[in-house]
Amino acid sequence: MSKNNPACEEARVLMMGLMDNELDENQKKKVLEHLASCEECAKQYKAFNNLKKETSEMKFTKLPEMYWDDYWDHVYNKLERGIAWIILSLGAILIFSYGAYEMTYEFFFDETISIFLRISIGIFSFGIIVLTVSVLREKLMIRHIDKYRSIKR
Amino acid sequence: MNKLDGGLYQNQTTEKENQIGEEREAILACQAGNKKAYRYIVEKYKTRAYYAALMYTKNREDALDLSQEAFYRAFKAIQRFDAKRNFYTWFYKILKNICLNFIQFKKVRANSSDEFDETTMRPVDSSISRPDEIFEKNEQSEYIWKAIDSLNENDREIIILKEFDDMSYQEIADTLSIPIGSVMSRLFYARKKLLKKLEQIYE
Repeated sequence: MSKNNPACEEARVLMMGLMDNELDENQKKKVLEHLASCEECAKQYKAFNNLKKETSEMKFTKLPEMYWDDYWDHVYNKLERGIAWIILSLGAILIFSYGAYEMTYEFFFDETISIFLRISIGIFSFGIIVLTVSVLREKLMIRHIDKYRSIKR
Repeated sequence: MNKLDGGLYQNQTTEKENQIGEEREAILACQAGNKKAYRYIVEKYKTRAYYAALMYTKNREDALDLSQEAFYRAFKAIQRFDAKRNFYTWFYKILKNICLNFIQFKKVRANSSDEFDETTMRPVDSSISRPDEIFEKNEQSEYIWKAIDSLNENDREIIILKEFDDMSYQEIADTLSIPIGSVMSRLFYARKKLLKKLEQIYE
C-alpha cells in the first residue's frame, strides 16, 4: 500500500466496510478491484481479516444465572427507592417549614418571654442563617471550579 | 434468494419490526410513568450493558452495579428520550459516563490511598485487568485483550463497539456522534495499531 496513493487511501477505509459487511455493491466492487491490483493493500486486508476472525472467536465469560435472575429486581428496587427518596424529602421539607413557622410565630409573639431574650434569639438565628448560606455558597462555588466535581459513585 | 430463503428473510424482517414496535411501546409506557414496562427494555439490553460495563471496569461486581445504575439513570431521564431513536446508543452514552466517572474515582482513591504495592511502591490499583473475568480463559484471548487494553481510549472504544458490542456502523456513528466515514477511518487506524501491538506481544 502506497502511503500517498489516493486509491490506496480510499481503499484502506473501504476495506473496513468490506470486512464488516457495511458497503453497497458499488463500493464493494471498487475496493475488490483495488485489492486485486494492489498487493500491499491485499496483504493488509488479509491481516485485518485474520484479526477479525481471532476477535470473533473470543468468548465472554458467562455470568452465573443467579445474577441475571436478580438483575431486574435490583434495577426495580433502585427505581422505587429513587421515587421514595423524592417523596420523603418533599414531606420532610413541608414538615420542617411548618414547624419552623409555628415555632417562630409562637416564640416571637409570646409576650410572657422577655423582649431581651426574643431579640437575642432572633440575632442568634439570623447569624446561623447567614452562616449556613455562606457555607452553602462556598460549597457551590468549589463545586463549580472543582475539576473532580463530575466524579460520582 | 430462493423461495425458502425469501420466506425466512421475510419472517426475520417481520420479527425485527415487531421487536422495534414492542420496544417503542415499552418506552412510551415508561414515559407515561409505568415502571413495570421498563422491564422489557432492561431484559432486552442487560447482557449488552453488563459486558459493555465490564470492558471498562474489568470486574464483575462493578460491571453489574454500574450497568444497573445506568438503567436507573436512563429511566430517570427517559422523558428526554425520543422514542423514534435507537435506545441502546442513547443508553450507552449514560453507561459510558458512569463507567468513566467510576474509573476516575477509583484512580483518585488509589492515588490518595495508603495502600502501596511493596515491589513497585505505587498505589494499589484495584482496577487491574483480569482477563478471565471478561473472556473465557484462553491464551489467544489473553494476548488480544492485553493488546486492546493497551490502546488509547478512542481506539479501544471503537474496537470494542464493533467487535464485542457488535454495533453497526450507523449505531457507532450515533453513539460517538461522528459521520459513518469517520467510523471507517477510525476503525482502520485502531485496527492497524492493534495489529502492531499484537506483533509486539508475540515477539
